[in-house]
Amino acid sequence: MMSKTNLQQSLKVWASVAAMALAVGAAPALAAPPDDLIAAAKKEGQLTVIALPRDWCGYGPMIDSFKAKYGLAVNELNPDAGSGDEVEAIKANKDNKGPQAPDVIDVGLSFGPSAKKDGLLAPYKVSTWDSIPATAKDADGYWVGDYYGVLSFAVNADIIKTIPTDWSDLLKPDYKAGVALAGDPRVSNQATMGVYAAGLASGETDAAKAAAKGLEFFADLNKKGNFVPVIGKAASIAQGTTPILVFWDYNALGARDTLKGNPKLEVVVPKSGVVAGVYVQAISAYAPHPSAAKLWLEYLYSDEGQLAWLKGYCHPIRFNNLVETKKVPADLLSALPPAEGYAKAKFPSLDEQAAAKDVIAKQWDAVVGATVAK
Amino acid sequence: MKSGRFGAWLAMAIGALYFLAPLIATFEFSLRMRRGEYSFDAYRVVLGSSAFHDSFLYSTVLGAVTIVVGLLVVVPTAYWVHLRLPKLRGVVEFITLLPLVIPAIVLVFGYIKLYGSSSILPLTTTSLGADALLMFGYVGLGLPYIYRSVETALRAIDVRTLTEAAESQGAGIWTILFHVILPNIRSGILSGAFLTFAIVIGEFTFASLLDRPAFGPYLQLIGANRAYEPSALAIIAFALTWACMGLIQLFGSGIRLSADKR
Amino acid sequence: MTTTAAAQSTRALRLPNLAAWLGVAPFFIFAVMFLLLPTASLLVGAFQDHDGAFTLANLGRLWQPSIRLSYLLSIEVSVASAFFGALIGLALAIAALRGGLPAWVRPTLMTFSGVASNFAGVPLAFAFMATLGRLGFVTVLLRSIGFDIYVAGFNLFTFTGLTLTYLYFQIPLMVLVVAPAIDGLRAEWSEAAEILGAGRLQYWRMIVMPILWPSVLGASLLLFANAFGAIATAYALTGSFLNIVPILLYAQIRGDVLHDPNLGYALALGMLLITGLSNLAYLYLRARSDRWLK
Repeated sequence: MMSKTNLQQSLKVWASVAAMALAVGAAPALAAPPDDLIAAAKKEGQLTVIALPRDWCGYGPMIDSFKAKYGLAVNELNPDAGSGDEVEAIKANKDNKGPQAPDVIDVGLSFGPSAKKDGLLAPYKVSTWDSIPATAKDADGYWVGDYYGVLSFAVNADIIKTIPTDWSDLLKPDYKAGVALAGDPRVSNQATMGVYAAGLASGETDAAKAAAKGLEFFADLNKKGNFVPVIGKAASIAQGTTPILVFWDYNALGARDTLKGNPKLEVVVPKSGVVAGVYVQAISAYAPHPSAAKLWLEYLYSDEGQLAWLKGYCHPIRFNNLVETKKVPADLLSALPPAEGYAKAKFPSLDEQAAAKDVIAKQWDAVVGATVAK
Repeated sequence: MKSGRFGAWLAMAIGALYFLAPLIATFEFSLRMRRGEYSFDAYRVVLGSSAFHDSFLYSTVLGAVTIVVGLLVVVPTAYWVHLRLPKLRGVVEFITLLPLVIPAIVLVFGYIKLYGSSSILPLTTTSLGADALLMFGYVGLGLPYIYRSVETALRAIDVRTLTEAAESQGAGIWTILFHVILPNIRSGILSGAFLTFAIVIGEFTFASLLDRPAFGPYLQLIGANRAYEPSALAIIAFALTWACMGLIQLFGSGIRLSADKR
Repeated sequence: MTTTAAAQSTRALRLPNLAAWLGVAPFFIFAVMFLLLPTASLLVGAFQDHDGAFTLANLGRLWQPSIRLSYLLSIEVSVASAFFGALIGLALAIAALRGGLPAWVRPTLMTFSGVASNFAGVPLAFAFMATLGRLGFVTVLLRSIGFDIYVAGFNLFTFTGLTLTYLYFQIPLMVLVVAPAIDGLRAEWSEAAEILGAGRLQYWRMIVMPILWPSVLGASLLLFANAFGAIATAYALTGSFLNIVPILLYAQIRGDVLHDPNLGYALALGMLLITGLSNLAYLYLRARSDRWLK
């Protein structure tokens, strides 16, 4: 149920992206990093990353090939960290150049500008800068969008016989004690966007109002006994406590691969209320290894890096540019869910995200949660 | 007396049921990795990984060191407070409760701030320094349990008489502490040691933020994205930790034997 | 002979006070370096705003109804699990150590308690989900013999379920901490009581309980603080549902959404205050019972 303005907005995003792609179609997308940068990075010898689970967006193979290509050591801190953790890690390690200090961060969209404001980031424009959509990067180069995905339903097909196709389906009695979020909506970006998406599905376009509608939806879901207040993961889907999980599509697809059919996992992009989440890369202003950090960014935004993300089911930010210049292998494209789901995706702006989060985080307990459910 | 024994057995039986049920459920789930049949696939995956061996070994060694340092810090303190400085008891007990309520993340950030690379005592920059910092953090985490166990044990024996008797025989303070008091509070020490060891094996926040290759971060890593391996890992960790406890128990009985020989 | 003995005893009386202070020094040095200073350096943030200026606003915000409610809920969960944990733990400890059971029971219970005392967080939450969740092992088993606990009104993701899960590490903690006190019960006392004509109940009520009472109280306080500060299990089990303080704290310091670390530090300060108050209460009760014992 996409309203006209929402569709227009999505189309605007895609139009600007397409325009960009056409304009820079001739630009050398295979811009290699300058040799002196590589030399400087090798001298530093190490890169410290944080919050990069090996199974998320194919980061595992990416880190390994980066290590092999440039001979640098990569120190992987706390893969389970959230965006807030990453920012706190930079702050806590301002005066510490030891291996506990992250060089680069990969955070939710709203954290880019706020970290920039706090003076925690260092600017850098990668060589493929021009092929990145303007809406997905900071004009001064302090942060840049890296990949996006849409919220989907990860469904345990062994337990759930009728696969839900839309948010409204979830309210049906077939899904008693079946639906969960992959985080705490007061804390996790993924969960908050889930509530927001449910609200968008009702047709509401204003961010704060959609957030309120989303809260109502979950309150209803909870009253009907369909909502499970557990933070869902691959394990809980398999065990059966959270047979339907609202998950980023790349997480759901990754889980499907990990589970190897045991149980069978269906990944469904809902018919309405499709929300895209953009993550951004940034270099820490206090990075102990700034050249290594820049080299890492160069690698991520090269064709090789971007396609590696695609292999991990994450849509890289230069996706349209790569498609235009026919750099995407056919088998990668076919492994992704159908493109129609993404065409309707709503990319919430920074203001919209902030408005939605404000409503959801503050009112979740009052509207949905149980303060003392004995 | 017979009815007493029946009551005791009944209590143990109910306790066993409560404690074993979740373990059985976890074990059952861990066997389900292969579709349609029970198998030990999940265990094979976990036991085959070198990350598992390395991190478990690291945490075990760290746990042993933590216990020793923790006891060295706590036992004399509990002894002196009990014997000579009862007015300090309130302060000491409050301090020992702090680690339970101060969020781990606050403590670790404090460590990084105070002992980071630009401070007077840059412990974070070297491997050994960071290990030491982690160990001190763990002593802090184990403090409440070690103190409470040792203090309870001290209350149960007559510290004053034992001390005076030993002193009258000409014993110096070290002899008193190690050869007279220690063997008599063996059960308190063992309890404290068990609790501390278990904490160290599973601890995540400190190890992760200080970037040390401990078992906790490894557990978290596997639990994040896998389905069956975390359950297998939980069972293995439980079994291995229990075995280590058994070793500590054996070692502990060694203390009594050596004291008896004298 | 008497002069040397007297000389020895005066020597013994003089040194110990210096030795006592030296003896407790490592503890205080450790506490300052690795507990007090690091905490203080961060908790000063409770009195600062986003830009570092001094403010009492964060403390003021602690009084909001939602935060007050979460402190209350935290206290309730902690008291419930401490109370039942202490009771059941004491019963188990007495059964194993004084119940006339075979010798292998004690070391097995002790070592198992050691492991179980720290079986918390995600693995414990998952274990309980796998046991008592809607598709849990025990739930399915009971359903197959006709008894559906969920129909009967049970739900794992409630206050009751959380307390039940907390007991898994509270009970073993109690067992371990109170065991030395039970060991201290001399056999002579029960024999003397029997000789003097006391029944078993009288023995327990009038001799054992008063002696064990201070240790039980101290252990219960430990259990309370243990539950009060516990976050991993609660978060893993009822993450978005029950609003206990550590989760709130976590949301402010680490979360993607709310992210107001200064409020988080204020919350931590509040927790320290409550722990301090409960410790004072314990000290008062202990002093009273010590006086009684004398």
